[in-house]
Amino acid sequence: MSEQIIERPVPADGPTAKAPQPEGKPERVASLWRDGWTDLRKRPMFLISAFIIVCLLVLAVAPGLFTARSPFSNGFCDLTNSMTGPGHGHWFGYDVQGCDIYTRTVWGTRNSIIVGVVSTVLTTVLGGVIGILAGLTGGWIDSLVSRFSEVFYALPILIGGLLVMSMVGSSNVWTVSLVLSVLGWPQVFRIMRGEVIGNKYNDYVAAARALGAGPMRIAFRHILPNTLAPIVVISTMNLGVYIATEAALSYLGIGVQSPSISWGLMINDAQDRWLTSPHALLFPAGALSLTVLAFIMLGDVVRDAFDPKLR
Amino acid sequence: MGRFVVRRVLQAIPVLIGVTFLIYCLVFLLPGDPIRALMGEKQDPHLALVLRARYHLDDPLVLQYWHYISGVFRGDLGTTYTGRSISDIVAQRFPITLKLALTAFGFEAVIGILAGILSALKRGKFLDNVVFIATLFLISIPVFVLGNVLQLELGVKFKLTPVAGIEDGWPASYVLPGLVLAATSMAYIARLTRTSMIESVRSDYVRTAIAKGLPRRRVIGVHALRNSLIPVVTFLGMDLGSLMGGAIITERVFNLPGIGGQLAQSVSLREGPVVVGLVTLLILIYLVANLVVDVLYAVLDPRIRYE
Amino acid sequence: MRGAKSAKWVAIAAVVALGATACGGGGDTGNSGKGKSDGVVSVEIGQPQNTLVPSNTYETEGGQVIHALFTGLTKIDSSNKIVNDEAQSITTKDNKVWTIKLKPGYTFHNGEQVTAQSYVDAWNYGADQTNAQQTNALFSHIQGYSDLNPGAKKTVKVHTMSGLKAVSADTLQVTLTNPFSAFPTQLSFTGFVPLPKAFFKDPKGFGKKPIGNGPYEAKTSFVDNEGISLTKYAKFPEASQYKVKGINFKVYSNQDTAYKDLVAGNLDVLPVIPTSGLATYKKDLPGHNIDVPEGAVGFIGFPLKYNKAFANPKIRQAISMSIDRNIISSKVFLGARTPADDYVSPLIDGYRKGACGESCTYNPTKAKQLFKEAGGLPGNSLEIGYNADGDHKVWVEAVANQIQKALGVKVTAKPFEQFQSILNDLGAKKYQGAFRMGWQMDYPNMEDFLRPIFSKDAINNGSNYAGYTNPQFEKLLTEGDQGATAADAIKKYQAADDVLLKDLPYIPVYFYRLNTGFSNKISSMNLIAHQIDWTSVKLG
Repeated sequence: MSEQIIERPVPADGPTAKAPQPEGKPERVASLWRDGWTDLRKRPMFLISAFIIVCLLVLAVAPGLFTARSPFSNGFCDLTNSMTGPGHGHWFGYDVQGCDIYTRTVWGTRNSIIVGVVSTVLTTVLGGVIGILAGLTGGWIDSLVSRFSEVFYALPILIGGLLVMSMVGSSNVWTVSLVLSVLGWPQVFRIMRGEVIGNKYNDYVAAARALGAGPMRIAFRHILPNTLAPIVVISTMNLGVYIATEAALSYLGIGVQSPSISWGLMINDAQDRWLTSPHALLFPAGALSLTVLAFIMLGDVVRDAFDPKLR
Repeated sequence: MGRFVVRRVLQAIPVLIGVTFLIYCLVFLLPGDPIRALMGEKQDPHLALVLRARYHLDDPLVLQYWHYISGVFRGDLGTTYTGRSISDIVAQRFPITLKLALTAFGFEAVIGILAGILSALKRGKFLDNVVFIATLFLISIPVFVLGNVLQLELGVKFKLTPVAGIEDGWPASYVLPGLVLAATSMAYIARLTRTSMIESVRSDYVRTAIAKGLPRRRVIGVHALRNSLIPVVTFLGMDLGSLMGGAIITERVFNLPGIGGQLAQSVSLREGPVVVGLVTLLILIYLVANLVVDVLYAVLDPRIRYE
Repeated sequence: MRGAKSAKWVAIAAVVALGATACGGGGDTGNSGKGKSDGVVSVEIGQPQNTLVPSNTYETEGGQVIHALFTGLTKIDSSNKIVNDEAQSITTKDNKVWTIKLKPGYTFHNGEQVTAQSYVDAWNYGADQTNAQQTNALFSHIQGYSDLNPGAKKTVKVHTMSGLKAVSADTLQVTLTNPFSAFPTQLSFTGFVPLPKAFFKDPKGFGKKPIGNGPYEAKTSFVDNEGISLTKYAKFPEASQYKVKGINFKVYSNQDTAYKDLVAGNLDVLPVIPTSGLATYKKDLPGHNIDVPEGAVGFIGFPLKYNKAFANPKIRQAISMSIDRNIISSKVFLGARTPADDYVSPLIDGYRKGACGESCTYNPTKAKQLFKEAGGLPGNSLEIGYNADGDHKVWVEAVANQIQKALGVKVTAKPFEQFQSILNDLGAKKYQGAFRMGWQMDYPNMEDFLRPIFSKDAINNGSNYAGYTNPQFEKLLTEGDQGATAADAIKKYQAADDVLLKDLPYIPVYFYRLNTGFSNKISSMNLIAHQIDWTSVKLG
């Protein structure tokens, strides 16, 4: 911050062109977000997806509110119930071990949400920052970082996951998130870099530069807001995608491992019998789809509401 | 432009060598013994030692890598621990995955872009909503569920498509797997095109062009489309690589003997040379696709110039 | 899930499956197939590990193809007995020097005559460590084997075993290092088939398109991950017994997909029905399925040699009695495996129903009581290791849940990458928990269920991964070997078995069964030792 204040050009004529104070900026931002928020509240799609996401968050934080039983209690699973379909008192039926699928689906929310959120935050921050810097700097640094990112991106997430997970041995939500982030950031990076390059020749950037704004200021105050829309879209969507990828890794047998509960793991366990007992696969898959759906819908409406170019 | 391409190609060489070493280390560090992995639950210690010596498995990492990479420079990709030539494996499996990936690529490019444009032009109308719901559906259903359901319904029940395998050749054997593989990306393309198209249609240059009296069809079809395709092209370029490598699940469901299945098997059997060979190939394809994207960038966006 | 495929190798394969007759299959031709009756059938296999060289094929996938292409000296007939095949007679006085006379008229598919030398050359090749053949150890009974196997990184100076002699074109003399009465049984394994001269000129090319001496010849080369087509060899002496005119072996990487293809009519034989089809295959394929016992047992083992926590047999008995085997068989395995009540498979002479008695019967109250008496387990917790590349997760977790419920200890199912990872940790005395273990017999004899898993010798030279030793057991085993008649031998082996049942070094959990499905094109068929008995295949 201080660096920017020093760099700020001293206006020739004092009071009228008073340099924007640090608090002046938040005000403009606030109004952008406020406008967006007003816009958002009117959209039914937002209300639906926000409702689903709030429910999911509550489920993730306090699964005990929704089920009386803990899936980790002794005697929770009873093999006599194995693969029994949905019925009274057990709405989702039982899985192959005779565990109540409803309880497990509820408790599985947490791990899916953790994987989604952690991976998204890491990839967005990592990819976004590196993308802006590379896009603005250009030259050989840009080339180097681009090639470097391509290596990661080119290593398909499932293959990379396969390799890293096999090496780590026992995997949990955190290792899965880390693997997804390390392999996923180049996507955000590519888009960010593309946007920055696309924007960097725009008049407003030239104007800011003419006014003496430093590269950091140009990057984060001017270009960033204009490139945020596609990043927000891709990140919110990615949140769902990472949750789905965790499930895919589990499908390949290398995701989160039991006794941890994850939807992907539940789907993996159920797939052997899914021709005869589809319920064991459909309920966790449904929860997975609903979660992915909610985040994608949210990404969509948020984009519509906040993209300055669309408003 | 020519110099730009040459420079990129030169940059790719150290990247590739670095990657092969990295992957080799990764596989080397994997716990487990590839020879004993092949023997399962009845082990023959004597034979295991003989085989380990034969495949230089007792040598230090650097020496092993040297054996491998010097072979590669002689044009020999090496053999698996069961004596299969890796070049043969690549030659056999690669075209299958390539066919699958290109089929999927075609689906996502054509259907995705078309759906995106239509939905942008009919923004808020019925068609837009249909496309919207369809994309949500495609993105949120896991690939393995989609693949299994379609295979069961179209293949086993209604016999519209082959259930599995590649016996019916291209296109019959590849249409359904291609569609399944393309599903998620297709939805992304549609949404990306829509967003980008809406932005372009509202931009000043389109308004100017229309104000100048150019026919709307031409303005949308040429000016707006060309600009809105930039992010779409980026996505498509990046996606070709992930289509090739991300086909593991699709290949598994439809029993297509492509690269994905081989890679998964080789990782679990600790066949370092196979993993390195195939992954390097995937990365090479990705790098080339990326180069093409960057060149296309310049074609689509005159503001971007390469010295 | 790719692992599942290599799991097939691990589960059934890398294993000599001698013996184990699997008769069965219906004769329901009512709903005749839609397939063209061209007499060609398609069979599912997994990708063979190695090229199709008999001595380098030690797993069931490639074994299936070798079995159709080659004929050996002996074979197992449908009543589980060893009978001569290409051998006219096999005689010995001392179980050490064997004289084998060949039947006339057998030729390789390229016209070359099968002679005693064809066998000598093939076996020398298989036993030579220079060639690193997977079945190398099978030749270890033959005199001179050690000359061909000086050890890793040493050069082999002699390439022929002194115990092998082609006395004449049709007479083979084999001298063993020690008397070995099961030698004719061993000869039925596909590793002991003869090889033509063409093989030695180009082993690589041969591995792609083998030239055998069996009922079917290769029509095409083997294409990795796709398969190979075979056609009937007209000059095979017993060709008339084979109704099937051609075989297409199709490679599947995913057996669930193979099952869908079988039901859709695109595949004719699926030798092992995957779990996804177990619940429905008898309904999906009425009269076209086989469900018979197999010579294999599943166990839970303990690191007895270094973890004293399991030293008390009562602990092991308590754990065993906490397992409800019936419900695991019906719910987890859907009937594809049955509760184990002996160390020996029901397929074998000498198996006694209920031999394990109370120890293998579900009784949580008694289990808890025994567990308390024995002082429980340290930390009140138990780990059960399993290899994640096999299909073991579900049953091990089910067993873990049951033990936890019955004994009130914390039981975790711990996945290992490969079976070898468990063995490594056991070897390094690193792993303290229990582990799963399976045994598939090498030959149909009671002794094969005891010595290789529980004898002192097998600690270093076999599969005694628990490190169990008991002098009484060793003594009875030796007495069994020396038994004058088969019945005497069985009696002694049963006494040895009783020692195990009292000690419970491993807990027997289930016996395997073989579940096979075939299409409407075939009206009936049998399997012998996992391999399709092609003379039994009748077309619908």
